[in-house]
Amino acid sequence: MFLLGTFYLFASFLVMTCISVIFSKNPVNSVLFLVLAFLNSTFLFILIGAEFVGIILAIVYIGAVAILFLFVVMMLDIQITSLMFNIKRYVPLAILFSSIILAEIIYLTVYKTAKSQKDIIVRSENNTEQIGNVLYTDYFIDFQLSGIVLLLAMIGAIVLTHVYRPTIKRQNINKQNMTFAKDRVELMKPKSGEGINSDD
Amino acid sequence: MDSLGLEILIGTLKIFSFVVPVLVSVALLVYLERKVLGAVQLRKGPNVVGPFGILQSFADVIKLITKENLLPSSSNKFLFIFAPMLTLLLSLIAWAVIPVSSTYVISNINIGILYLFAVSSFGVYGVILAGWASNSKYPFLGALRSAAQMISYEVSIGFVIITVLICVGSLNLIDIVESQKNLWFAIPLLPMFVVFIISVLAETNRLPFDLPEDEATLVAGFFTEYSSISFGLFFLAEYANMILMSSLTVILFLGGWYPPMDIFPLNAIPGIIWFGLKVFLILFVFLWVRATFPRYRYDQLMRLGWKIFLPLTLIWVVITSSFLFYFGLLPN
Repeated sequence: MFLLGTFYLFASFLVMTCISVIFSKNPVNSVLFLVLAFLNSTFLFILIGAEFVGIILAIVYIGAVAILFLFVVMMLDIQITSLMFNIKRYVPLAILFSSIILAEIIYLTVYKTAKSQKDIIVRSENNTEQIGNVLYTDYFIDFQLSGIVLLLAMIGAIVLTHVYRPTIKRQNINKQNMTFAKDRVELMKPKSGEGINSDD
Repeated sequence: MDSLGLEILIGTLKIFSFVVPVLVSVALLVYLERKVLGAVQLRKGPNVVGPFGILQSFADVIKLITKENLLPSSSNKFLFIFAPMLTLLLSLIAWAVIPVSSTYVISNINIGILYLFAVSSFGVYGVILAGWASNSKYPFLGALRSAAQMISYEVSIGFVIITVLICVGSLNLIDIVESQKNLWFAIPLLPMFVVFIISVLAETNRLPFDLPEDEATLVAGFFTEYSSISFGLFFLAEYANMILMSSLTVILFLGGWYPPMDIFPLNAIPGIIWFGLKVFLILFVFLWVRATFPRYRYDQLMRLGWKIFLPLTLIWVVITSSFLFYFGLLPN
């Protein structure tokens, strides 16, 4: 009873924060509501006993992804009114995608549940070990492939944004460490009245 | 119903038994910092309030509370007040999983180390929200710097933690300490220990990495607009975070509550005192570093994080796991 009550509490918070993400006029508030949505889904995962998945979700999405979102959104100078005018253009596309996702969820919950529950063999008490065993044995190739896809995406992003400009003066730390005082300065003893001839 | 009430009462008392000592040690740590800095710079440090000036930080707290709390007119009021609260909250809730002796811990969960990592990675929200909600140039720059800095150093902290976890084979903090009964991880994993301490300095925004509040260029960084108790909360949270991260270092590398050697006069001392002594040692290193090193430039900070620590820790993960695998020392 207590568990069910907590579930409905967090689930309703999750739905409310998701709605607020869409309807907030200020993009920074949207990202903050998104963080709350992630936090509530973490609680839901912990509630069903999947504490590893829940905490990983918190670390990856709240601790890294949402911060980068916030980082970008804070620096954008978005005119709120222009955003509100454009929103109607995306309605058909939004309906299309959300109906596809809804169909997938219905398919999974109605037809797949019985089969997938049979597939999972409980090998240990600890769900961290369980996930590790499944990932590195049954789904080893898929796991490595997803890692390679992420690596490629990262390299792609760096290649697209990195422009080498030869005109910019760069700091070469090795070169700086290899120089000594005698390469750069020289001790002179100028005679009185003659000074130093700069051509020497 | 009675047993539930009793459980709640015991739980509350247990929470207070962690939070109150932490807050008192924050006050003493501020005093210690000023004394250590004074000693390094051949001064006396605080010596007026109370015997040896030990009540100085309590006097400072009273001063902070009685001052006027200013709200900038163009700020986002809710987030402006919420940010310092969040920062202090995050530095206190992490204590829920810290075991100070083999039996005394509020909640002994399976994934304690991940919980700590998650909570410490949320810490950046307090800073970034404070900077944004102030609606002012310097706090905003401080917030942007800190977001980039904390994310960069979390990467190397994560890899250091993975190296330790490979040696332990469990995410439980008590298991991590118990596997160090004979040999502290600071000895076989010495380079990781050093990297971890430096990364912790950056993660807690302490000198020489205190660029988010760099007073020479950013006035006071993200808390420029804060005054009175809301500034006090940030101050409290920074020192509470230092104590927390020192305890994490002790748990991961210095054998938690175990004495250095299992011989008579040393192992008669209770574990909680050893834990406290080790935390004190790490905290002293924090203050010592502050008194000794100049502040890093921002590009140097980023270079250290991404070009030196990231490859070093990655290679150490590979070396450690290959070594353990080759000699059949992997746990389980």
